[in-house]
Amino acid sequence: MDWSMGGYGFYVWGSYFFAALAIGLELFSLSRRKRSCAQNVNKDDRGKITEAKSSYVAQA
Amino acid sequence: MNLYKYASPVNFYPLAGKMIPWFAIPAALLFVIGLYVGFFVAPTDAQQGDAYRIMFIHVPAAWMGMLLYVLMAIYAGVGWAFNARLSSMMASSIATTGAMFTFISLVTGSFWGKPTWGTWWVWDARMTSTLILLFLYIGFLSLQASIDDPRRADRAGAVLALVGVINVPIIYFSVQWWNTLHQGATIRILNKPTIAPKMLAAMLIMLAACWLYSVAVVLVRLRCTIVEREQNAARFAEAGT
Repeated sequence: MDWSMGGYGFYVWGSYFFAALAIGLELFSLSRRKRSCAQNVNKDDRGKITEAKSSYVAQA
Repeated sequence: MNLYKYASPVNFYPLAGKMIPWFAIPAALLFVIGLYVGFFVAPTDAQQGDAYRIMFIHVPAAWMGMLLYVLMAIYAGVGWAFNARLSSMMASSIATTGAMFTFISLVTGSFWGKPTWGTWWVWDARMTSTLILLFLYIGFLSLQASIDDPRRADRAGAVLALVGVINVPIIYFSVQWWNTLHQGATIRILNKPTIAPKMLAAMLIMLAACWLYSVAVVLVRLRCTIVEREQNAARFAEAGT
């Protein structure tokens, strides 16, 4: 493979760098949100939302 | 097996957790394989040289941007019509990833346009309609974020998503309806593809990777949305509102 991309290296690698950056930022922000969600989940029923919590939705 | 029970966020939450690795791991593998085929196996294009290799991220990103918008509109519409909370949550979860892929397609398109067309941007029908798609995603996300009550936010978002879905066929057919700088479709459902099989293979592998990635990320976001909304609902109920 020609790493200079036949003189188009800036455009080719630039586009892949940008795509990787966008995906990386999405994954980073999602991992932060996931962490904060995990802290909010009741430790007694970690990993699942109980029916009791869900039933509040009908009342709200 | 009663599949309807998974329409409830409570029941879907653990199922989504189990499904995530089945999409995330193949997505990572297919990204690696797709990039390998795209850079090491696919030949250099006779006309565009190696600049065409931008296609392997640009085209899948553009397709995902359109596909995710249609899915978002369907989920938002179902959520609105049938008061299905999980569908509305799914629509909200899809929007961010759809916006990201649309943004990637615009930026990588600019990177491709400069060496091939000599300009970063033109107000071409395909590019302008794709920019409108990005604005629709941003509008959907902003509208939902600006309304405190999730059910009202879902309804308002659904109207915008359903109205905006008309833009998707406009993007797709823009290269046929108008004289544009953007090249026409190289892959058609009824006709033979006009690109080399190795190039097509790399593009389809990258498309599959982007699709699996999207499902995995949307499921993670959906689980967070379920937790946030159920807890917000609990707080509303406790406050007597």
